[in-house]
Order: sequence, then structure tokens, then C-alpha cells
Amino acid sequence: MSGSSYQQFQASVNDAWDLGDDDIISGIAETKISRAISETAALNVINSHRNSTKNVNKSDVKVESENLKPKEEALAVRKNEIKRTGGGVGSSSGLIRHYPGRPRPVRLSALASREESSESKLERFQQLLENPVLDLDELKQLSWSGIPTKARAVTWRLLAGYLPANTERRAETLERKRADYKHLVKQYYDSEREEDTYRQIHIDIPRMSPLVALFQQNTVQVMFERILYIWAIRHPASGYVQGINDLVTPFFMVFLQEAAPGKELDNFPLDKLSEEQRNIIEADSFWCLSKFLDSIQDNYIFAQLGIQYKVNQLKELIRRIDLPLHEHLQTHGVDYLQFSFRWMNNLLTREIPLPCTIRLWDTYLAESDGFAIFQLYVCAAFLLHWREKLMLEKDFQGLMILLQNVPTQNWTDSNISVLVAEAYRLKFAFADAPNHLHNAGKSDR
Amino acid sequence: MGTREDEYDYLFKVVLIGDSGVGKSSLLSRFTRNEFNLESKSTIGVEFATRSIEVDGKTIKAQIWDTAGQERYRAITSAYYRGAVGALLVYDIAKHLSYENVERWLRELRDHADQNILIMLVGNKSDLRHLRSIPTEEAKAFAERNGLSFIETSALDSTNVEPAFQNILTEIYRIVSQKQMREPPEGDVIRADAEPADVRPQADSVRKQCCQ
Repeated sequence: MSGSSYQQFQASVNDAWDLGDDDIISGIAETKISRAISETAALNVINSHRNSTKNVNKSDVKVESENLKPKEEALAVRKNEIKRTGGGVGSSSGLIRHYPGRPRPVRLSALASREESSESKLERFQQLLENPVLDLDELKQLSWSGIPTKARAVTWRLLAGYLPANTERRAETLERKRADYKHLVKQYYDSEREEDTYRQIHIDIPRMSPLVALFQQNTVQVMFERILYIWAIRHPASGYVQGINDLVTPFFMVFLQEAAPGKELDNFPLDKLSEEQRNIIEADSFWCLSKFLDSIQDNYIFAQLGIQYKVNQLKELIRRIDLPLHEHLQTHGVDYLQFSFRWMNNLLTREIPLPCTIRLWDTYLAESDGFAIFQLYVCAAFLLHWREKLMLEKDFQGLMILLQNVPTQNWTDSNISVLVAEAYRLKFAFADAPNHLHNAGKSDR
Repeated sequence: MGTREDEYDYLFKVVLIGDSGVGKSSLLSRFTRNEFNLESKSTIGVEFATRSIEVDGKTIKAQIWDTAGQERYRAITSAYYRGAVGALLVYDIAKHLSYENVERWLRELRDHADQNILIMLVGNKSDLRHLRSIPTEEAKAFAERNGLSFIETSALDSTNVEPAFQNILTEIYRIVSQKQMREPPEGDVIRADAEPADVRPQADSVRKQCCQ
């Protein structure tokens, strides 16, 4: 890969940032972390994950650096998961199938109701966040296993690199960035618009969540339109690609929740908020989205090369982790692009309920080297999660229908905790060991 | 967990193409599940559905690929044209631009699909009478000039959705079975994904109007 040329390309299309704002992000991007350090960091994350989510199945995060037997272990984890989740999913709504294009119930109200590890975790967040010198690494470690609702908006701003770690600079930065966004609206949206881009966004917004009253409000739709249009115009190498609209939603919801704490959001009338509150939600969603997309912009360039590359990686990964599943898919003519393209283009937002997406993004935002690579492993773990069901399907049609409509409607945060732990384990085992299995095979001989 | 429609005599792959928002996914959900949502989410990449119909006592299984309409997706979606024996090229009768773009979509098919693919031009949203911007006669004449079949549909009120799919599948079936009579194939099942059925018109009469 031409990493350097891509970086040049990226630099040429990125939003302009004041250098000072970017100390967090650019520091990470430019440092090549050595494998040893990254492994140590990884173990730290796992450990903190283990500590902070004691209720999650132990085997999910079992990492033994020597003697890894990925296949068996993956199977073991899967079995546990199935036991844990099988009853609920299968029995209550096994017959409800979700089809492409069919609106799913969003259940926003569930956002606030499930708090995984409640008060004590919130206290740890509050302590960290109130510290004048924020330890960003610690915040990442703590966030990786899920952020309490009350601390989420601030934490996301910090993790996205939008809010400076330095408490003294925060208020001033926010004020400036929000004012900047206002100027961008005037400059791009309130003047003559680029016809094709605007039309496509305008077509897509009203049909995002047709059954949720919140998103049917004109006020909300115009906010989304502005965010997406301005992002697209300022990122000409990718522009607007269908699906990016779904990536605004989690930010929007988190900042809305902050502005309307404890409120039922499914049909919350946005006009109840002050104009200033609405502007904050919009500007912060814009800036966080921009930061968030920076690490995956190659997903949205011409021919979506980043996704095609990752789809091939996924295929190779599954071939190495679970050959029978891989061969099952191949035998029946299922191509990885046919199902995983959407997983990657929309970061699974179409596959799991919105509250789960938000929980998943806690982890993505907390991934210290950006989540682009990690997302690949999440997709792998997601595919492996359905392997038993997939193996039962006997033809192309059955496989495709299942893969495009995986039954996640009853998923909760704990499913996501299991998913990311499994993804982490896979990444740990396979990311830095391209020939892991080959070598193992040879030494066995 | 197996599928109910395991048995079939013919398997035909059909693609749905056309501009964003013209109702491709709605046509598909109306045909395969008899469902309609006033707004359905944009299609990302391609999505798949299937339904079987009977023609002359034979079971024909349609494997239908619904594609994203945004131009940016064409590099991805055009890969799915291969092996397709039929295409429904959809425009919105109330959106002139979507009709103007039909020529571009035809070019896409010429560049990426099998040469012999049968193409049906579909003017969708015929329920929007007061908003119509493409006269039926104009589209019909265009279809004739370009050797396409033509139909107007409404996924919302179901008008002509069934005939649209029935007609193109029947047409494909006629061509394939005529060809089989002259050149008996090795197996009796046509697998669209393995060997695309050859639907080259054998006689001038094959490409008739689908309906009026």
C-alpha cells in the first residue's frame, strides 16, 4: 500500500485545523507505535476491560499470548455467547425478520435505561474528567468497555479529539469551533449549493428513520442536511456517500441526550430546545463526525477502495480463523463483498439497534490507534457470531437473506461488550501475525 | 432453517437499477413480500431478495439484486451485473432527471452486463398523476427505439408490479426454453451464477411490448 501517498492525499483533503487543537490526534497519527508497546497497551486495555466489566463472560477476554489456539478458542467463546443470548433472541421474536429497506424499530428510549455498571463507573469517569490534567489514556481505557450515559457527551468530545485534554482551553475551544461551524454554514450551505451533492443528501435524510418521529421533524432533517452537506463539500475526494448519513445519528443522539437529559427522545420536539442548544448539538455533531471519519476516509473515496481492501482482509481473516465457515460461504457462491460491504460502509449501524451502535462507538472512539483496523475485527467477530446459524443454511439464498438481516433486534450493550472483546482477541492474535497459522502448521509437522 | 423454495426449474438473476430514490427497493419489497413503506432506507451497495413464480407449470426462481442508486456506488454495483439475464431499469415518472439518466444506465449495462441481457424500462410512481413529468407515450417510444420492454408501475398502490416482474421473467423463460428445445442442455436446471442463461432473442417477435 502507498501509505505515504495516502497520507498526502488525506492531508490535502482534510479539514483545516488549528494546529493547537490537534495535539491529541496528530500525536497519535504520526507516532509509529512499536509492536511491543502496542501489545503492552493492548494488554492494559484488556485488563482494564476485565476489571471494569466483571459481569462479562470471562472467556471472552481470555488472552494467552503463547500457545494461542485461535480456532478452538473462538469456538468456545461462540458457544458461550449462544448459550447466553440464545434464549432471549430465539424464543421471544424468532419469527420477526428484518429485511433490507424495511424500517427497524429504533427503541431510543432504551438508551438511558440500561446502565451496565452504574454508579461506581460514573464516579470514576467524573473523577477523571474533573482532573485539571486529563489522562487521556486512562480515559480511553475506561471508555473502551462502555461509557455511562451521563458522561458520554463530554467523553466523546474528548476521545474524538474535538475537545482539548487541557481543561483550561476547553471552553474557549468549544466557543471558537462552534462559531467556526456557523461560518461554514453561511459559507457553504446558505449560499449557492453544489446541486448533485445537495440533491442526494436531500433524498436520503427523510428516509433515514421513517418510523421515528424525532427524525421526521423538519428542524432535525435540516440539521442533518447542513452537517452532511458541509462535510461533503469540504472533503471533495470522497464527497457524500450514501450511508455516511447514518454515521451522524449516534453523535446527534448523544448530544441531544446531553441537552435533554432523561427525556424520551423517540419523539422529542427539537423546537423545545433553545436555538443555542440546537446549534451546539449541530456544531458538535459536525466536528466529531469530521474527526471520526478522518481515520476511515479511504472507505469513501472513488470505488470505495478502503472498503474493498478491508473486505479482502476480512475474507483472508475468516479463511484463517474458521476454514469450514469460509468454505461453506464459498461453496454456495457467497461473496464477502455482498454482505460485508454494508457492514463496513455503515459501520454496522444498519445491522444493530441504535443504542448498541452508540455503545460500540464508545469502544471505537477509545481505540487508541483509530478504529479503522479494529472495525475489521469487529466485522470478523460479528460474522463468526452467526456461524452456527450460517452453517445450517443450505443454499446461497438462505445465506444471503440471513447475512443481510441478522437477528439483532434484541441486542443490548452486553452483546456489544462480548463482540468487541472477541474482536480484540482476534486482533491480538492475528493483526501482527500474518503467517500465524501457517507457521503453526509447519511446526506441527 | 432451510428455505421453502428449494425446488425450482429455472433460476434467473435479475438486477434493479436506476437513479436514487426512484423506488427500486420499494418495487422489490412489493414483489417479494407484498410490503410497502412510504420511506425505505437508502440501499447500501447491493441487497438481495428472491421469489419464485410459475410459468407453463415450471417454477422460475428470480434472484433479484437491488442496487444503490448513487453514482458513487457504480464501481461496486456494476460488478453485480455479471450473470444477470434481466434488468429492470427504473425511473420516477415525476422526476425528469431520473428519466434523462436512463441513457447513462443503459450505457452502464452495455459496459458491464452480458450482451444478451433483457432490459425492461420501468416508470415507477404512476400513482403520482398530478406530478407526472414524463408522458407515457414518450417513454414508450424511447423504449421501442432502444429495444426495451416498457411498463409503468406503482409500488405504493401495487399497480403493475406483479406484471412487470412476471413479464420479464416469462420473456426470459421463453427465450431460454426455445433455445433448450433446439440445443438440449446437459442439466435441466439453469444456474444463473454458474452459467448465465443465454437470452439472445431468437426471433424478431421476442421483444414485444410487455403491456400497454
